[in-house]
Amino acid sequence: MEEIKNYIYQKELFDRLKKSISLKREEECIGCLIKPAAWWILEKPNPKVSDMEKLIDASCPYRKKNEKRKRRSCIKIVFAAVRKSATDKKLTKYTCAQGLHGFVYPIVQGEKTYGYIGTCYTKKEVSPQILNIFSAFTDTIVREIQKELELSKLYETLRPRAIALSTVHTVHRLISSTLDLNELLPRIARLSLQIMRANRCSIKLIDSKRKLLLPKVTIDLRKKKIRLKKVRVGKWAPGKAVKYGRTIRGDNYIATPLIDEDVIGVITLYDKVDKKEFTAFDQEIMSTLAEQAVIAIKNAQLYKEQEKLTMGSIKSLAAVLDRRIPSSRIIPRASFSKISIATGQKMRMDSDSLRSLEYASILHDAGEIVVPDEVLAKPAKLTGKEYELVKAHPSAGVEIIKHMKALKSVTPIILYHHENYDGSGYPRGLKGDQIPLGARIMAVVGAFEAMITQRPYRSVKSVYAALEEVRQNAGTQFDPKVVGAFLKVMKRRDIRSVLEKELYGRR
Amino acid sequence: MDVDKLFKSDIHRKIIAFFHENQASIDTPRGVATWIGEERSRVISALEDLVKSKILVAHRATSTTGYSYTRDNKIISKVTKLLKKS
Repeated sequence: MEEIKNYIYQKELFDRLKKSISLKREEECIGCLIKPAAWWILEKPNPKVSDMEKLIDASCPYRKKNEKRKRRSCIKIVFAAVRKSATDKKLTKYTCAQGLHGFVYPIVQGEKTYGYIGTCYTKKEVSPQILNIFSAFTDTIVREIQKELELSKLYETLRPRAIALSTVHTVHRLISSTLDLNELLPRIARLSLQIMRANRCSIKLIDSKRKLLLPKVTIDLRKKKIRLKKVRVGKWAPGKAVKYGRTIRGDNYIATPLIDEDVIGVITLYDKVDKKEFTAFDQEIMSTLAEQAVIAIKNAQLYKEQEKLTMGSIKSLAAVLDRRIPSSRIIPRASFSKISIATGQKMRMDSDSLRSLEYASILHDAGEIVVPDEVLAKPAKLTGKEYELVKAHPSAGVEIIKHMKALKSVTPIILYHHENYDGSGYPRGLKGDQIPLGARIMAVVGAFEAMITQRPYRSVKSVYAALEEVRQNAGTQFDPKVVGAFLKVMKRRDIRSVLEKELYGRR
Repeated sequence: MDVDKLFKSDIHRKIIAFFHENQASIDTPRGVATWIGEERSRVISALEDLVKSKILVAHRATSTTGYSYTRDNKIISKVTKLLKKS
């Protein structure tokens, strides 16, 4: 391998040297002074006599006149000069059989000789001053070419690595921009497939007992249907990668463990598009990608835990508040959240806003805790003072949740969910788009919930009648676009069945 | 826009050549602009043209968009021919 590299380097060096304009100028300048019959370049570090024969025959203008004996002695002289210059690693003069003069200059880098430049058949002996100029000039040219070669070699080595590094950096940015595991894992798989130009990628995470690898994502670009298979730790390439905590690489697969403090899973890639083997470089890239994937997966898992914790706190709070509600009143919490989220999705809300909407769907009436029981349970019309107490519940709800930082984005939904689209609502009398979208959705879904569940001041309406009332109030009490989205959601069979189960399933 | 038309534009041709040469690469507009030595704003618009014509694939995230080369063999072999010609 080293020999091949040297050969390539030597070839490139001489190719550039032969094309060098500087060397041509040098030959012209020095040539004017010494008038040699020929310049020659010998590309071999250890030439044989036969190489010298070819060289002399090609460059000697007297070769035809030369007698055989003289030619042979000429070759010997030049050959000896070449050998001497190789040993001394400096310019060597000679006088040929014709009594003419020449010199050999070795092209040297460190301890290595790559070849020789020489002149033949100068009539006068070349002065040491001219030889010094020649040596200095040639040395500069050769060094320049060697530097160019080193730079291009460095460029060829570094550029692919720099591009790979940039790819890894881009992948890091792409995967760290989501905290949703359901979005993250397919994204990691797709990016891995792209980087490795492979056909199949599978991501498996270890189960809580640390015995099985559970398939989370498998993408095969050649198949539409894929069977997700569990793998026992220690079995097959993915299982072995997890067991031994190191990459397992075969001709057509590479399994890279996802290691945090411990192994949490494995990314396995199969079958390169060009049908080549997975290389050590692939392994290096996949290891870097796996390190980043682990961080992103861990962050997403922590975020999910955090979400569960927040949701648990919200549900506990809601349960405490529900104790004030008469047991005869059924609150369809699950369907209410589902309807809110589905309406939000129809209104193209992003995932963060949908999460806030879900929290708000549970806590929107938390502020009712400040409203006295007798007011909440009053079967008749409220007095002005009592109504003022009820109107304070959105602000009171905000007061309750304001210390929970995770619910900061829920605040505007709770505060404005009793605002009406035409500006006739409370607490601030906001109109149209001034009301946050989440609050406009909550207004519709909240009113619908109030109509279909038992309230002391009104009789229960059927789902159909409640939907009709929502439709009639579009544009006045409710945002018409939200009403449109809500009514479409309410046509969904899954939503209707959850709602009916909650409302009537317990009766 | 088809591949032949895009090849007539210098910046599009440079981007295609970069991804053809580095088929495993995924890069942002900033990165691509650095590799091909062009202005970022021009690169962004050219990248989107190439996504529309399916020569590149866009991996969109909230913080950035990564672009990678197509896996369509027909497009790849067409690009190979055009690059040899140019």
